[in-house]
Amino acid sequence: MEYCADPSTLEGLRWLACYLTTPKHQLFYLSFLTVFALLAITAPVVMIMGFGGAIARKSQIAPLRWLGTLYTSMVRGVPDIIFFLFVPIALDQLVEYARHKIKCPHITDPVYRGSEFIVCEAAKMPLSDSAAWVHNTWSFALAVIAFSLVFGAFAANTIFGALNAVPHSQLETARAFGLTEKQTFWRIHVPQMWTYALPGLSNLWMILIKATPLLFLLGIEDIVYWARELGGSKTGYFQYPHPDWRLWYFLALLVFYLLLTWLSGKIFNRLTSRYSLDHSSNPTKPLLKPIEAGR
Amino acid sequence: MPQSPRRNQSVTQSDTVLALRGIHKSYGELDVLKGIDLTASRGDVIAMIGSSGSGKSTLLRCANLLETPQQGDIFFHGEQVKWHTKRHQRIPSDKHQVRRMRANLSMVFQQFNLWAHMTVLQNVIEAPQTVLKKDPDEARELGRQLLTKVGIGDKCDQYPSQLSGGQQQRAAIARALAMEPAAMLFDEPTSALDPELEAEVVRVIQTLAEEGRTMIIVTHDMKMAYDVATHVIFLHDGVIVEEGTPDQVFNNTRSARLKQFLQSSGTFG
Ligand SMILES: Nc1ncnc2c1ncn2[C@@H]1O[C@H](COP(=O)(O)OP(=O)(O)OP(=O)(O)O)[C@@H](O)[C@H]1O
Ligand SMILES: [Mg+2]
Repeated sequence: MEYCADPSTLEGLRWLACYLTTPKHQLFYLSFLTVFALLAITAPVVMIMGFGGAIARKSQIAPLRWLGTLYTSMVRGVPDIIFFLFVPIALDQLVEYARHKIKCPHITDPVYRGSEFIVCEAAKMPLSDSAAWVHNTWSFALAVIAFSLVFGAFAANTIFGALNAVPHSQLETARAFGLTEKQTFWRIHVPQMWTYALPGLSNLWMILIKATPLLFLLGIEDIVYWARELGGSKTGYFQYPHPDWRLWYFLALLVFYLLLTWLSGKIFNRLTSRYSLDHSSNPTKPLLKPIEAGR
Repeated sequence: MPQSPRRNQSVTQSDTVLALRGIHKSYGELDVLKGIDLTASRGDVIAMIGSSGSGKSTLLRCANLLETPQQGDIFFHGEQVKWHTKRHQRIPSDKHQVRRMRANLSMVFQQFNLWAHMTVLQNVIEAPQTVLKKDPDEARELGRQLLTKVGIGDKCDQYPSQLSGGQQQRAAIARALAMEPAAMLFDEPTSALDPELEAEVVRVIQTLAEEGRTMIIVTHDMKMAYDVATHVIFLHDGVIVEEGTPDQVFNNTRSARLKQFLQSSGTFG
């Protein structure tokens, strides 16, 4: 690290290179992984929740159907952001309350005292003396659960609609040939469902990407946090003083999100033409054209 | 009128493939079938004619239990369909029996209903593989043979939406044949087709009839009924008003209803 030994003597590109590789900047770059991790964990969970919710809502068993309907309709009338704020806090308090009851049964004071939620030290989640990464992982896990719950409900709505959109005659034909209900579902119903579900799921994926800055709102040190932190003006007290550069940092985030959504759009277009049921023309070309033109 | 081609019809009891006895079916207040008896013996080609709404499709759908008749019995190779009552509705009680019957009574639909996400060959081998547990290679081999037989051997790897209506219907017939069924049920197989496409499908059905396959064909095509059938049934308002050989039904019509129907359908006016 001789190269960056004394920042005050550096100039031009060399200064910039050193500035962009400070430990804090490295944390900034790592926080992009947080975004990807959120997406990578949430997306499959959302699909499972979506399938589960849709199947529950179509179930012959009434209580399961009610549960599915309740789950899929809960997101309809509430702004997502309320859920994102509500779910982690509610989960956090629920877990701490349960631990409080188990670990500190001798304390008889109510946990809600006035306007405060107070549990014994041993019930804190995570414990107040835990390492920073434990705290971070815990709040990240809560965020993942919140995202999965909300987007799972959206996905369930989409998949439910798509399952209903498959023409009944296609399924009836399968039954007429002796396929069981299960075979009909997995071999005919689900493969045909994708055609109808993909536009909605593609849209949902875009919304999910665009919702990732909410991590910041949940107190997680994500890319938004670091962009604000690093972009803010730095006085001479800092090693690399500079004026307010938040504009540039947020511009970088903007480009990052644009690239991500653009790439996603391309992939979904591929999928859409792959799962299209209308093979009468070659749909690949016309579907990709609008994006090529937009470049 | 030429005589319709007749095959040797030594019908013994054991040759009965499908028998319907006293079938009643209603949708709410609407009585669609009011006591239908029908027997299909091996080699029979039964043409079912009748005006729109007379219950032809409903009867065909009752035969393979896509609909459940409220009364009456269904026998497949002498085996009676078992029923039980659930919430005041009679439904078949033995799912295996239902599937066994359906696998043996292949249906060809007016709108073809080829599975849109599969190629033509995949359509043909789907049920043999999943239902009959046929070896994949064998199923494919048979599938190709059957598609060649109906004249679209070159379309194996196309998707249904890439085929003409007539080709789709022939693929659907190949799909039904691939089950090697005891009988085939056709519900207006040519009604959705233009006249020139209709002819190619009629030709395939004619070939099947000549092979001595057991078939029940609902049709508006009186010429096909006359040429292909061994037995014609005229359904009106949920009852069989007249039945007999094509010659009896078309050339020596007894009931006024059928006379009127034949006149309005034009072919034998
Ligand atoms: N699922 C259903 N629910 C209610 N009514 C039905 C249903 N299916 C058929 N029907 C009614 O039963 C009657 C007979 O219908 P069906 O389809 O069997 O007639 P069809 O003889 O096949 O007529 P077409 O020649 O037009 O096909 C019609 O009045 C129809 O409206
Ligand atoms: Mg009909």
